[in-house]
Amino acid sequence: MSTNQIPVGPFHPLLEEAEYFNIKVEGETVVDIEMDIGWMHRGHEFISEQKTFTQSIFLVERICGICSTSHPIACVHAVEDIDNIDIPLRARYIRTLIGELERIHSHLLWLGLAGHFIGYDTLWMWAWKYREPVLQMFEIISGNRNHYGMMRVGGVARDVDPDALPALLKILDEIDAKMEMIAKAANDDPVLKSRLKGVGVLSHRDAIDYCAVGPTARASGVKTDVRKDEPTDAYDLVDFEVIVTQAGDVYDKTVVRLLEIMESSKIIRQCLEKLRSVSGPIVNNVKEISPGEGIGRYEAPRGEVFHYMRSDGSNRPIRHKVRAPSFVNIPTFTASCKGIPLADALITLASVDPCYCCTERAIRVVGHAEQAESIDLLRLSREKTERIRRTIHGA
Amino acid sequence: MDKMDQFIVDMGDLIGKTVRKKKRLYFQVKQENLRQVAGILFNRMKCRLSTATATETFHHIEVLYHFSHDATGDYFCPRILIDDKKNPRVDSIAPVIKGAEWIEREMFDFWGIDFVGHPHLQRLLAKDHPQGLDQPLRFRRDR
Repeated sequence: MSTNQIPVGPFHPLLEEAEYFNIKVEGETVVDIEMDIGWMHRGHEFISEQKTFTQSIFLVERICGICSTSHPIACVHAVEDIDNIDIPLRARYIRTLIGELERIHSHLLWLGLAGHFIGYDTLWMWAWKYREPVLQMFEIISGNRNHYGMMRVGGVARDVDPDALPALLKILDEIDAKMEMIAKAANDDPVLKSRLKGVGVLSHRDAIDYCAVGPTARASGVKTDVRKDEPTDAYDLVDFEVIVTQAGDVYDKTVVRLLEIMESSKIIRQCLEKLRSVSGPIVNNVKEISPGEGIGRYEAPRGEVFHYMRSDGSNRPIRHKVRAPSFVNIPTFTASCKGIPLADALITLASVDPCYCCTERAIRVVGHAEQAESIDLLRLSREKTERIRRTIHGA
Repeated sequence: MDKMDQFIVDMGDLIGKTVRKKKRLYFQVKQENLRQVAGILFNRMKCRLSTATATETFHHIEVLYHFSHDATGDYFCPRILIDDKKNPRVDSIAPVIKGAEWIEREMFDFWGIDFVGHPHLQRLLAKDHPQGLDQPLRFRRDR
């Protein structure tokens, strides 16, 4: 059978970021996938080396609009690791609070997109609707719905207003109720299970070989979570579970993220309760950074964010390395996409929650011939869901 | 004896100068021993390769690998010093660790380091850049 190539991306006006996939198919089956990145390269590492340590935190906050506090937390951890700087207890709780709120809104964003890709537009609208209260909490705490500007070397920049705590807890109660409803609806839906179970499986061995991180690894039975492995901030002071499942398919990745939302909510509640009683400063004054090197990391919604900084004793880093989780998760497509039907490619690519784009439209190229036919991957994915729905519920 | 002390003893002559900090171990490795050390860290000690950092100093180009031992939260960081800055070459660890492929391709792209034995050594992030970036993170005067 001849092999057709389906180029996807890199640019599409509907999506916010650029990636390129060349999907090779035989009939309806994906036999290989090539990935190309670099369309969004902005030279953050180089720019950061021209900035002071404090300015670098603002810079890395702008690497990603969704993980806009994970990079700053990893960055301040790297600087603090150079000099073993301690931070006040109240700042530890505030950092954890912000990080977990970000995890909820990021997972809800992904859940909405995943629902949209498989033709569950109700799930999409629910998830994004219930994401709004999380952004409101951010606005109450930091004044911003995104790019919170909360992190500083030695602590945090802004305290949480004690008078705002009852309002924050009330919003959290509302979010909890809605999350339970979404989780129950997703769990009880036979169509969703049939559509996602066994799709895009990343085996336990492949997850280890590709050094995958975050929910992508945890859904394949790899228990890796920076929050437990190397607890910083208040993660050793709060009670939570690391969610690990074994199947490695898209359904398990969904389950991991849904349950992580519940765990994050648990952590946030504990932090808010502690902020009632724990008082004191929110930042330690750090005057200078000694020569040396430091590693900082944080469990972002997509997995471990890694920052490495080297100081020569001046006020700016001489080397700043940044590694986002998608950089190690995207290569896993090579393993998880082989052998799956084309209609499942879109949701499999989306299942690792990469910062990815342009997968909803593709041009089919037959061999090296001219462009022959347009294929809408989104349509294929939704048609498959509809077929399953009709089989289960009757036409 | 903790994990790091045990590692230093087990490695013996395979590793050189070590710098130890809280939960971090930086150590030098000769180029010819890199694959063996990476294999021990990945296969025997079950470490995960987080990433690698290339840095140019006045005398060397150095590659610092970051292996995370997730069971303890420790970091093991083998450091390779490359003397030949004109034609930097080092053995690839991608044949041992599949996850190193993109990490090494990024360093090849930005620093021009030739990873010998890499299965698919091509530029990754700065290829087709409109400004024609060529090894953008190198000191220009030394090229």
